[in-house]
Amino acid sequence: MKNRLKVLRAEREWSQQDLADALAVSRQSVNAIETGKYDPSLPLAFRISDVFAMPIEAIFLRDQ
Amino acid sequence: MVYWNNLAPYMRRYTIRILLFVSSYIIILTSSLAFARGGLEHSQATLIGLALITAFPVIGMFWAIFRLLVETDDEYQRLLFAKQTLLATAATLVIVTVWQFLQVYDVVATGPQWMGVIWFAMLGLAAPIVRWKA
Repeated sequence: MKNRLKVLRAEREWSQQDLADALAVSRQSVNAIETGKYDPSLPLAFRISDVFAMPIEAIFLRDQ
Repeated sequence: MVYWNNLAPYMRRYTIRILLFVSSYIIILTSSLAFARGGLEHSQATLIGLALITAFPVIGMFWAIFRLLVETDDEYQRLLFAKQTLLATAATLVIVTVWQFLQVYDVVATGPQWMGVIWFAMLGLAAPIVRWKA
């Protein structure tokens, strides 16, 4: 699944560690999600959505 | 100290548990062996008791590792730990199977031994393999 995490993070000038701290996960986890190596669970996707104050579908994009 | 403070709470609990079990193992093993091989005759029940007491901290290490899988609240890290334990288990089974057949064909005198130690070694080897490019 594709996502806009890197772009959204850059717009807010957040480092991967900043986002990891906000989500209470490791920086390695944020990197794995950002690079598409790992698709987060629905609860984590909702936490990401809350942190960015955006709906999930505006962050995660379905594969065409 | 900075490294310790940066560790996630579940990793701190895991580290404390492993250190406690490893230090208990060293103390129990050395004192039990000294007692058992001290020149006195011991009953079978005493020797079974010593074996169980010595095995206890090793079983504790298994418990600590599987408890880590339960307590890790970072789902991606939990996935990596799960992959690590599965890879270690698979590698241990391969080693033990080959070793067993070496014994069947009289290449070696004894069959698989110290499987727990092999599993711990494989767990250590599996960590960088699983985390490589993770």
